[in-house]
Amino acid sequence: MNKICKFFVKLLGILFVVNAALFAVFFFDLDGKLLFNVVEPFLKKHYDNMERKDTLKAPYEIDKFPKYDFNS
Amino acid sequence: MAKMSISKALKDFWYGKPHTAEEGGRRLGDLHEDKTHLYKHREWRGVADTMYYFYNIWLYNYIFMVKDIMVMHGPITFAKGLWRYRWVGQTYLPVLHWFDRGLEGMRGEAMKASAWHYRAMVSTTIRQFQRMFAADTRLHGGKQNDLYKHTIAHNETVWGGVFYPWDGEITNVPLEMIPYFVTCHVNSHTVLNYIDAVQSIGLPGDPCPMCQAESGIFVLDDVPDYAPAVITCNEACDASVSTSTLQDWFFDKPLFSLPMPMLFDDPLVKKYVMREIEELWKFVEQQYGIPFSWEKLTKKLELQNELQRFEWEKWEVAAKSDYYPVNGVAQALYRIYQTQYGDWEIWHVTDKKVRKILEKCVSKKINSFPQTRHRVIAWSCAPLYYSNWCTWAYNCWGLNVIINMDSLMFDMEIRTDSYEHTLEDMAQYHMWAPMRRMAVGGMHHMFELWDYMKRFNCDMVAMYDQLQCKGVQGLHGLFEDEFRKRDIKAFWIPHALPDSRTVSRAEIRRLINDYMSTVMHEEPLDPSLLDFDDSMTW
Repeated sequence: MNKICKFFVKLLGILFVVNAALFAVFFFDLDGKLLFNVVEPFLKKHYDNMERKDTLKAPYEIDKFPKYDFNS
Repeated sequence: MAKMSISKALKDFWYGKPHTAEEGGRRLGDLHEDKTHLYKHREWRGVADTMYYFYNIWLYNYIFMVKDIMVMHGPITFAKGLWRYRWVGQTYLPVLHWFDRGLEGMRGEAMKASAWHYRAMVSTTIRQFQRMFAADTRLHGGKQNDLYKHTIAHNETVWGGVFYPWDGEITNVPLEMIPYFVTCHVNSHTVLNYIDAVQSIGLPGDPCPMCQAESGIFVLDDVPDYAPAVITCNEACDASVSTSTLQDWFFDKPLFSLPMPMLFDDPLVKKYVMREIEELWKFVEQQYGIPFSWEKLTKKLELQNELQRFEWEKWEVAAKSDYYPVNGVAQALYRIYQTQYGDWEIWHVTDKKVRKILEKCVSKKINSFPQTRHRVIAWSCAPLYYSNWCTWAYNCWGLNVIINMDSLMFDMEIRTDSYEHTLEDMAQYHMWAPMRRMAVGGMHHMFELWDYMKRFNCDMVAMYDQLQCKGVQGLHGLFEDEFRKRDIKAFWIPHALPDSRTVSRAEIRRLINDYMSTVMHEEPLDPSLLDFDDSMTW
């Protein structure tokens, strides 16, 4: 019985700490600060340095696909 | 004195600070950091509302975003897409801050109902980009998987309803809704890359920046290859015709063009559009080898009609009482998203939740916007980078945007009693597409404003002025004349749709502040919101 009580008290304690930590993240906008100052700059750098296909070099073949005819 | 301040502090803690400066004011402007507009700390809305926001909005949405990703094709698909496409990584991670901007200052039922609208949009967005990534040949070593073979790409102003006959067999995913349109609302920085990209290849900077951005995504090679065929549309403007040409070039797939006629309200033109829709159906059958299903079409249309009927109920409450619990930005975005994307389960789930809140507000006579000084109707196309201006306007000046043009475009049910009636109504729906009916639809529809103003009991107009839309520009002077003639209070909001560099958010606020102080001679409810620097914000 004592063991079960202890377990629940411990569980409640953990839940309380997690809850308080999440509330601190929420209230002080730590998620926003992390995303704005760390994640977004990191991802932007990645996207800016990405090798991209030069789409302008693709030929524009307007007759590539058969002409669509509604009445056929 | 000390006793009084303790009792006020306790009251503020329990209920949240009051709105107006006279009552000791909550001063929302002081909550933010300069430039980035990040919160020093999030708003304390009183115990009940802060806890609701923390558990039922912030935490709930983070959890359900993860759940949506897990259920819809999984985290690996998401991670691959995130690493490959700028528009998802740069935009959708800070989505909870999009909630914050739209819901700032909201309390009670308004906060709850508006947040449900946002939740539905987030879920539908995840559904679309996850489908794109799961079917994308670029993320699967060039392989065309089964999902690829059962997905169709289309322009975002082609109503998703035209694909109802293949419900459950072919999934339609608009090309631009997620990589372009929604990004502008959530993180206005992302789209600038695409606008600059299209100008860098020599296209002029003065056409509609929406068309520029939609083409720029292709120029930067940032479009997933997720479908074997594509449906394009002129989006009712000449710049968009050029977008379609570029899309045809870069996408390089069998393409069907579903035009919106420049002339409408004409029986002959309607017949033409009906035929165009039939042609589209034939094209889909040919490309995918799956037959058209009348049963599926009518079943989905009936479901969509259900959504429309609830929307009418919402409008009725908004028009005839002070008990409507949805704020201006949630109303506008949810409605345009839902009507354009078409029927989907989450809209029904959301409407059910919102109905409960709405009925509670009506039966208990809860006024969710008690500081309303003016009931505003917003007309023409809104600035995508500042769609939450109306949240600011209510908090600062008591301007309550009751309804807007985007919500009113598809003011119709679709008959399902016969093939001819259904096709006729679908053609009508298609011709009333975004930007078509009331933006470049001619004077008759532009001037429906006066009727809707009366119907929704509004005393003020927020008139959007998309500076790079040649269609609406021609009507600016006519509106000015009519406002004077009819003695209507109206202010203009100039903007360049997605491009926040042309008219900044601060400039929009300055124009409204000027109007409210110099023309209306009113004092702000919350002076801390008059002037602040949010130039770097999402």
